[in-house]
Amino acid sequence: MMTARRLKLAGALGLGLLALTGCSNNDNPQDTFGADGHYSKLIADLNWVYIAAIVVGVIVGVAVILALIKFRERPGAPVPKQVHGHTSLELTWTILPALVLAVVAVPTIATIVKLNEKPKQCMTIQVVGQQWWWEFSYNNGVTTANEMVIPAGEEVCLKITSRDVIHSFWVPRLNGKKDAVPGRVHDWYIAADNPGDYWGQCAEFCGLSHANMRIRVRALPKADFDKWYQDQAKPATTPTEAAALRGENIYSQQCASCHVIKGAVDAAGNPVDFSKPVPLVSGAAPNLTHFASRSVFAGATFPLYLDDPATPDIDESDPYTAEHPILNRPRLEAWLRNPSANVPMVPDDERGMPNLHLSESQIDDLVAYLAGLK
Amino acid sequence: MADVALHTPAGEHTTTGLSNTKLAVWLFLGSECLLFGGLISTFMLYRGRVIGSGPEPAKGWPTAGKLYNIPFTSASSFVLLMSSLTMVLAVASMQRGDRPKARLWILTTALLGCCFLAGQAFEFTHFYRDGAGYTTSLFTSSFYTLTGFHGVHVAVGVVMLVSLYVLSGRQQWGSEKAESVEIIGLYWHFVDIVWIVIFTLVYLIPS
Amino acid sequence: MALIERKGQLELGDGGDRAEPIGVFTRPMAETGWRSWVTTVDHKKIAIMYGVSAIFFFVVGGIEALLIRLQLAQPNGKVVSAQLYNELFTMHGTTMIFLFVIPIGAAFMNYFIPLQVGARDVAFPRLNAFSFWAFIFGAIFLNLGWFLGGAADGGWFMYAPNSGTLFSPSHGIDFWTLGLIITGIASTAGAVNLIVTVLNMRAPGMKIMRMPVFTWMSLVVQFLLVFALPVITVALFLLMFQRNFGATFFNPDAGADPLLWQHLFWLFGHPEVYILILPAFGIVSEVLPVFSKKPLFGYPFVVFSGAAIGFMGWGVWAHHMFASGLGPISVAVFSITTMFIAVPTGVKIINWIATMWGGRLRLTTSMLFAIGLIGMFTIGGLSGVTHAVSPADLQQTDTYYVVAHFHYVLFGGAIFGFFAGFYYWWPKVFGRMLSERLGKWNFWLMLIGMNLTFGPMHIVGLQGQPRRTYRYAPGMGFDMWNKVESVGAFIIALGVLVFLINAIQSRKHKAYELDPWDARTLEWMTTSPPQPHNFDAIPTVHTLDEFFHRKYDEDPATGAMIKVKEADQVLEEMGRDEHIHMPSPSYWPIAVAFGLPILAFGVIYSHILIVVGALMVLGSLYGWAMEPATEPDSGGHGGDVAPSTELVSHG
Repeated sequence: MMTARRLKLAGALGLGLLALTGCSNNDNPQDTFGADGHYSKLIADLNWVYIAAIVVGVIVGVAVILALIKFRERPGAPVPKQVHGHTSLELTWTILPALVLAVVAVPTIATIVKLNEKPKQCMTIQVVGQQWWWEFSYNNGVTTANEMVIPAGEEVCLKITSRDVIHSFWVPRLNGKKDAVPGRVHDWYIAADNPGDYWGQCAEFCGLSHANMRIRVRALPKADFDKWYQDQAKPATTPTEAAALRGENIYSQQCASCHVIKGAVDAAGNPVDFSKPVPLVSGAAPNLTHFASRSVFAGATFPLYLDDPATPDIDESDPYTAEHPILNRPRLEAWLRNPSANVPMVPDDERGMPNLHLSESQIDDLVAYLAGLK
Repeated sequence: MADVALHTPAGEHTTTGLSNTKLAVWLFLGSECLLFGGLISTFMLYRGRVIGSGPEPAKGWPTAGKLYNIPFTSASSFVLLMSSLTMVLAVASMQRGDRPKARLWILTTALLGCCFLAGQAFEFTHFYRDGAGYTTSLFTSSFYTLTGFHGVHVAVGVVMLVSLYVLSGRQQWGSEKAESVEIIGLYWHFVDIVWIVIFTLVYLIPS
Repeated sequence: MALIERKGQLELGDGGDRAEPIGVFTRPMAETGWRSWVTTVDHKKIAIMYGVSAIFFFVVGGIEALLIRLQLAQPNGKVVSAQLYNELFTMHGTTMIFLFVIPIGAAFMNYFIPLQVGARDVAFPRLNAFSFWAFIFGAIFLNLGWFLGGAADGGWFMYAPNSGTLFSPSHGIDFWTLGLIITGIASTAGAVNLIVTVLNMRAPGMKIMRMPVFTWMSLVVQFLLVFALPVITVALFLLMFQRNFGATFFNPDAGADPLLWQHLFWLFGHPEVYILILPAFGIVSEVLPVFSKKPLFGYPFVVFSGAAIGFMGWGVWAHHMFASGLGPISVAVFSITTMFIAVPTGVKIINWIATMWGGRLRLTTSMLFAIGLIGMFTIGGLSGVTHAVSPADLQQTDTYYVVAHFHYVLFGGAIFGFFAGFYYWWPKVFGRMLSERLGKWNFWLMLIGMNLTFGPMHIVGLQGQPRRTYRYAPGMGFDMWNKVESVGAFIIALGVLVFLINAIQSRKHKAYELDPWDARTLEWMTTSPPQPHNFDAIPTVHTLDEFFHRKYDEDPATGAMIKVKEADQVLEEMGRDEHIHMPSPSYWPIAVAFGLPILAFGVIYSHILIVVGALMVLGSLYGWAMEPATEPDSGGHGGDVAPSTELVSHG
């Protein structure tokens, strides 16, 4: 059938083309061909392997199609010559692919070595995964969540671990992935050539909300980063207006058993005590000290700031827009009202944030407080 | 290799000349090697992890040094080793057609196997009293799992031996039944060899 | 004299090797009706039961896949909840691998190995029956989670610590674990059985290098099963002890190493994928020569490459763990071993094309599927080679790129191979042809469907869509391709539906021709379907492709092959054996098998049932051991063996 041939040809070439459309473009925030930093470039330098694979695939496809055309049964044709094999030919096509693969192996090993080389200078960030969010800690005692801020143009050393099950830290445009394994600490590295946003997600199935465990890396110019770094080390801004003060009270009673806000005080004016163990399987909840300085929350699933003040869409479709000044109040309120309705969690098993059954005025006060934690 | 089927000693026609059942048992033992290999690897990984996640037992975290009574286990191992000898004698007797002798050695093997199991039970009772429960630590969990699997294999062997003893008394068993005895012997020797490996790696080599 | 209380033993008659009826339990003798199926030890009937079960679970797994694709057809999908989605993808993978591909392979191997080597049955017919019943009970048991509190939700690879009760409290994972232990016992028994059959029960003259490639590949698969299954059995027991008896094997808080599970799992898991694909390779190696009218090009190379794949498959397991923190040396070593396992597979592909080259190609449905396998498996194999480049794999692993890879090799490889087998061997098994017209629809729908479904996954994977995620956000660039993939999945479903219709309505087709395809191997050298005893006379084999060489001879004038005999003539010249001894039916296999899920239930719900199940197993094993393989009054001789037939033993 003519269609048979055409379709096979189309299939083979089409797939090749499809693969090529995987080339980088900004509509793909997690594009593995993005190569926006030293390490992801090292990996992308091996992308010729895909081309080689496509070439081999096309050769095989063409051979099959040629055979179909040339040797299609014609009525009355005799029984073809009963060829049983050809040893030297077969040896050749055994050895030749082995040699080709040996060639592929050399740059592969070289890249493995380079990817695992500790840079001479780097800033170190502790990365801890737990169900279902990422924690980032810096050497000056700063602990944040969901959003990792790094200086652009510099290498960053990561120390990756987990507090519960196996997760995997993955920001494709900056490097391949590395598993976060409880009981182990894995060294890994990222670097972003230019300032910008780089997105990632947990890449090892970790339960209910594995899909919601996202990462946003913000690379800042060095000077901006230094300022950010200093500001983050300061304790939380003391609230001044009434709603925010009430919010701080509510926080100290309802939230402080899990969430740390450095410098927060309770109703009596005493600093909140964070020494007791957190009642969660993972033993930790996101540090909220400078919550409002971040661009995302709830496992980086939702933007903290939005585009259109008039119609903030509760089902906001795109958390990956750039900075905007309008607080995503509806989503923040919805989160406080019933966390598991926004991101599936299992608070009854102490995995995830419980529903505190807050009243609407409590929620308003808390939002006022949180919005001031810049 | 095979233009004509070959005869096994028992008179079966097979392409290789090996009996079907014997070949099957060898393959089964091959898979058992991997089974025990996995269990032994797990033990070797966890042998030093003596501190558990629960409360510390009154007598402290049980360790190999504290628990093991090497002389006792050596005696128990010797008993199992001797049972392999009696098994060999049982097979040889059967092949000669000496049914009463064979039955005697089969029963002896079973009894020695029971002695071994009794020794294990005695040992484990003492371990338990010394604070080594199944879930106490990774060391104890993997120890009991490994030796437990082995013990179950010994128990199954004893059941087969006793069955063989009883059945061989009721029916006309001649040397054509030697293969059944031989096959149980193969299994029994395998279980013994596994014990030698376990005894060496678990008991004798200090962690 | 110690008396052991065993069910039925005390009522045994004395003397002779006849088993007297035990109470009401007389030896089943039914040859028709449902009882004949429940007690059958005929490898052909057992194979058909495997096949029907496998296709049932194919549909179950397919429905699970369609629900997945419905959810993922749009960003932030709300078709299913996150919890249900996690159960669906776990069960989809588990069902397709363990309850479809393995048993459909078992179906083909059970039916055709004895026929292809010229035997009347397998070495241990009752053990064969046991394998099937244990499989089906294990398969049902595994799925009980759906009805009893939630199916397993930890992924088919069930990584620790996520598989622990702390993170998955429902019983789903317990059903999964115990169900797989049971099906593992079934497969191990089946593997031992088939190895002994292939090694020991070949027809006179059937040397090892005269065996059909399907039998050869199956032999390699059985060895892989024998050695790989115990490793996952250990892992499953450790998990079961942790979940049900408080052990801490995979609990990091207790000092455990979570990577232990991964190593044990993948040491099994990698040989497992060769277990999944090699039977299909074997089928294609039969189909291509028949429909090219040429022998397989390079039979020794194809056989050796299959064995090589079997060996080398043990040295690559950690390529599933490149991102898990192994360390650069391990990563480098496994990278290299993984690259080199592409070599024997490549040899097969080239040899298959060389078989077609210079042939006379008949594009029947079976042939289309076989050629489809060559194309689709090549794509999947090449993406596999890109995985071997471990730095690249650090981007690809856990994304849809790897989902694309394994679906190309499993769907385009294994499943296409099995469908080639369906269309080729249907007349042999059922005496009816499948419709070629519907078959072509089946093929094209599946080919187009699978490329639409899995092709774009290469792209979205490289664009950063991780796998095992119940939803993806808009604005990532995944939307369009996911829609295409979901449409493709329904096209596949249509193709499967066409096949089912074809299968059902094939009963109306005309009855068999003796040799509809002008085939080459021994299974065609008998009636369709074969008689219970397979061959009226066990043939003596003189060459590879024995049947072909009995029909064709070299024309002395031209040197070309011409047909000198038709199939019916070949059969007639084979004659008839005098004493044919077949094993008798038995219900002990299903009885033993039934004790296993009872035991497993006991582990989850009530420990007393463990004892009950164990006693059922032991008691039934006893009955089995007491029963001769062939019932004396059926015309067979309890302990005798006839030339070239399977023997009667403890099996």
